[in-house]
Amino acid sequence: MKVYELSGTTLSVALFTDVANSKELLELMQAGTLEPEVALLNASLIPDIFPVLAAAHKTLVAKSRDSLTTRTLHSELVYNYSGSKHISESLKRCGISDSTTYILVARFGALEEEMTAMKTLIKGKEIDLEELEGKANKPQIQKHYKITGVELGISTLGDAITCRIAARDAL
Amino acid sequence: MDTEASGENGSLVLIKQGAEARVFESTFAGRKSIVKERFSKKYRHPTLDSKLTLKRLNAEARCMTKARRLGVSTPVLYAVDPVTHTLTFEYIEGPAIKDIFLEFGSKGVVDEKMDDIALQIGDTIGKLHDGGVIHGDLTTSNMLWRSGSNQLVLIDFGLSFVSTLPEDKAVDLYVLERALLSMHSSCGNVMDKILAAYRKSSKQWSATFNKLGQVRLRGRKRTMIG
Repeated sequence: MKVYELSGTTLSVALFTDVANSKELLELMQAGTLEPEVALLNASLIPDIFPVLAAAHKTLVAKSRDSLTTRTLHSELVYNYSGSKHISESLKRCGISDSTTYILVARFGALEEEMTAMKTLIKGKEIDLEELEGKANKPQIQKHYKITGVELGISTLGDAITCRIAARDAL
Repeated sequence: MDTEASGENGSLVLIKQGAEARVFESTFAGRKSIVKERFSKKYRHPTLDSKLTLKRLNAEARCMTKARRLGVSTPVLYAVDPVTHTLTFEYIEGPAIKDIFLEFGSKGVVDEKMDDIALQIGDTIGKLHDGGVIHGDLTTSNMLWRSGSNQLVLIDFGLSFVSTLPEDKAVDLYVLERALLSMHSSCGNVMDKILAAYRKSSKQWSATFNKLGQVRLRGRKRTMIG
């Protein structure tokens, strides 16, 4: 797990593989009883942590102005990461489903005991964030973010996603 | 648990002030970044002012990312903030083409490097134009040479717009031609090399070159008679 400093707060991030209880996690989250509240992202769409930080920055700016689009701070992070304006579609694709086994967990301003609680909640194997690049589903990312081979000639996959996250509201 | 310090927007260091915007150096999520702030013009009506500022901010963000989709290297966009009128993007390490050419002018041209630069300029503009993006301010100070990879990076899309008209493309090239003539006449005829590369890169070069001939005769502005 890793903690990033961001706009005066922190974002704690942990990566899990072979998660067995995503159905349970999803139900808890939809009921709003997930304790502590975290963002659960479909990690196969994340080739690098940087776009997640860009989405987190955007989330914190919206929060500071009380202009969140979604119901919670952490669902906003998932929505922002998608780079799209369709909320339900974003949460479906970039969030987790019943069968997701590879998950990135993130929480803003997390206390150490909250992250410990979160780790017991997720029935999976924690792995290093370095694994993101190798485990990312590149064809799926390219399809979701509409990234062509031409763009990848001058850009990394992570940077291409970052641009889409940043430019979403300008389009 | 390890913490990665990033000093998020910890310090804004002013590096340039122009007529439309201020440019600062900063950090964004641990990466060195540039913040471009469009300030309001006090002499304009407030409603008009905020509309114009926002429109241009969004247009710049759009054109920058559209250019990347066309395979043209521009800084990675990190954030757009419509409330503070700021764009945050990647800091590019490397000199401006202007400074490279000025050095060529004083110390002599390095032919190999000059050919590489001219080729990339022509190729880049060709790709941009075929994709319907007009840069609007093609000067050698808006082109950077990325250190290490020796890759041309186009910056400042503040005057960019979308158009497929040969007229707009020709004027874009004409602005560059004039800029080269006035700044870098001691570098030899760079424009010919750029146009040769443009011709190879753009499928619509022929219509653009025809128009360029006309624009050269009359200048950048169209005469509006009748």
